[in-house]
Amino acid sequence: MLRPKLAGAVSGLALLVSAASAQAEVLFWSTQAKPVEEAQAMRERVLAGAGEVDYQPNDAGPWITRLNAELEAGSGSIGVLGALHGDFSAMDPEDLVNLGDLGLGSASDTFNDLAKLGTDDLQYIPWMQASYIMAANKKALEHLPDGADINALTYDQLIEWSASVMEATGEAKFGFPAGPQGLKHRFFQGYLYPSYTNGVVRTFASDKAVTAWEKMRELWAVTNPGSTNFSFLQEQLLSEDVWIAFDHTSRLAGAFNERPDDFVAFPAPAGPEGRGFMPVIAGVAIPKTAPDMDAAKALVAHMLKPETQIATLRATNFFPVVDVALPDDLPPSVQAAGAAVATMSASADANPGLLPAGLGDKGGEFNRVFVDTFERIVLAGQPIEAVLDDQKKTLARIMDETGAPCWAPDAPSEGACPVE
Amino acid sequence: MTAATTDLVEGGANARKAGQYVYIAAVVLLCAWVLVPLYFLLINTLSSPETVNAYPKRFIPEFDLGSLTFFANFAGILTALKNSVLVAGLTMIMSITIGAPAGYALSRFDFRGKELFRLLVLLTRAFPLPLLALPLAVMFIRVGIDDTIFGLALVHTTLAIPFAVLITFSLFSGIPIELEEAAWTLGCNRLTAFQKVILPLVLPGITASAIFAFVISWNEVFAAAVLTIENRTLTAFLLQNLDTSPLHLKFAGGFILVVPALIFIFAVRKYLFAMWGIANR
Repeated sequence: MLRPKLAGAVSGLALLVSAASAQAEVLFWSTQAKPVEEAQAMRERVLAGAGEVDYQPNDAGPWITRLNAELEAGSGSIGVLGALHGDFSAMDPEDLVNLGDLGLGSASDTFNDLAKLGTDDLQYIPWMQASYIMAANKKALEHLPDGADINALTYDQLIEWSASVMEATGEAKFGFPAGPQGLKHRFFQGYLYPSYTNGVVRTFASDKAVTAWEKMRELWAVTNPGSTNFSFLQEQLLSEDVWIAFDHTSRLAGAFNERPDDFVAFPAPAGPEGRGFMPVIAGVAIPKTAPDMDAAKALVAHMLKPETQIATLRATNFFPVVDVALPDDLPPSVQAAGAAVATMSASADANPGLLPAGLGDKGGEFNRVFVDTFERIVLAGQPIEAVLDDQKKTLARIMDETGAPCWAPDAPSEGACPVE
Repeated sequence: MTAATTDLVEGGANARKAGQYVYIAAVVLLCAWVLVPLYFLLINTLSSPETVNAYPKRFIPEFDLGSLTFFANFAGILTALKNSVLVAGLTMIMSITIGAPAGYALSRFDFRGKELFRLLVLLTRAFPLPLLALPLAVMFIRVGIDDTIFGLALVHTTLAIPFAVLITFSLFSGIPIELEEAAWTLGCNRLTAFQKVILPLVLPGITASAIFAFVISWNEVFAAAVLTIENRTLTAFLLQNLDTSPLHLKFAGGFILVVPALIFIFAVRKYLFAMWGIANR
């Protein structure tokens, strides 16, 4: 009774399997714009005028595994890669097509230099940028310390503010992305360290760094202890588990778009050495195994067009890298984040940092140093000096092995950036 | 003496009653274990984003179809669903056609290396897929079965075979060989004896291992994400993107991932239940 059914099913399956689909489109293999709404917006709006494009956002694991498989097999279906600077810097530049002859690039020379990945030619084209900012529920504003300006907060004021919110509500309402998918390492590399030590690598174990970690402990005391599970602070802002939050602009966007009147965005706080902050850069590149090189290059060019850049901004909350006039009708999240980033970079005490560069595939280990340091000092309560001296060795080894020179705000170095 | 007997009887009745309560409580608990999360998934799928983020949670769905409509318009979701069903179906068929004979051989014949084989068949589960995916993808690209439903089903079959072999092995072992021998004396050959006597007895077990194969394939993400591009399965297509999506879409996406598998299991349940002696209705 079952067997004829099975037989029918098998032949039916075989028929369907043999009907292979035609393949004429460019495969856009990306680690960005992954959330379903963003992926949808990329497909429907950003890539609408770019011809046949199959936009496939992936987790980092499958993304790099598939790419490596195609490079190793010597033929592939990926046309264009979209990823963060860190993803590209972990790759062999030989595997990416040189893109200098396209005449494309970002308005920022710093970004273009980063995109060369240590070679003489552009290995990827900067595609979009973002940063990390602060966001708060308007209910928290009445607890701001006397004399504090929300657009020019210091770390001390932030701690005081969070403490008085905690006193008023009985709950710790500062939120920090310390979850497994959270971007906490960028907070230490681009915000805490530059603000307190005016460096990241050179000053890793300095006396000023000890002060920075002491402040981090004070901040943690008024931080929602659930933060070790938070990776996208927009969720906790919306559920009001958190009133004051630090996160990536696109990971706060949901809160502003769903309840624009309830939240404010503002710059990251400042420390004794200024207001440290860091950009996030995503780029587009072409692997050497791309099946249709011309179509891939056309797609890269499409991504850099001003109107595509604005469509990308609406879709992903990542800002343009080329000079464009922003329209007035942008979503609330973009307006809020744009204003906060502009205030942050224009502030008198701005101390902008750069993304770690020249670390190659050691980028993950570099981040690990900061995450481990945080976990040992703040979560496990180990003595600060001892932990820094210990982690310093790992950091120095990574810098020596990669030979990466210092990047801002560290003072420039000859050869590998020293850990002092 | 009489009093003592009544006490004993009553004691026995009480104990039976208590046992019954424990039994009912256990049944309720087990059902709740499975049904409550599914119910919450359903409520949140049918709620507006504001309600999903609100606290306390509601217990009655408000039938807001916003989240589901979003997925209905999500490009490629139907193709992905079709691919998932095809891959899982192929996996099911291949793992049974390969696994069941192996299980039969293990239980009926003695051959050298039998114990080793039983051990080795488990080894396909010993290596994590992220480790295997790279060489597999390279090989698939070279052989030309990259990005096909058949190629992915092959990988999933490899994952499902240990279960198919071991489940069918214990099934066949549970059926006395005398039954088969009796059939042979009554004019059956090996094949017809298997077909007429053994197969009806093991069918529920085979269904169980088929469901296992189906679910293994349905849930697998990594190989699917690496080995398919045009022909993505639903899990590869959705699951990777859900962890970074807003909460209400996570619920709706989860719902969409769970429901087809539930429907499938519901459809084949009668073969499954027959395994525990409930008549095949």
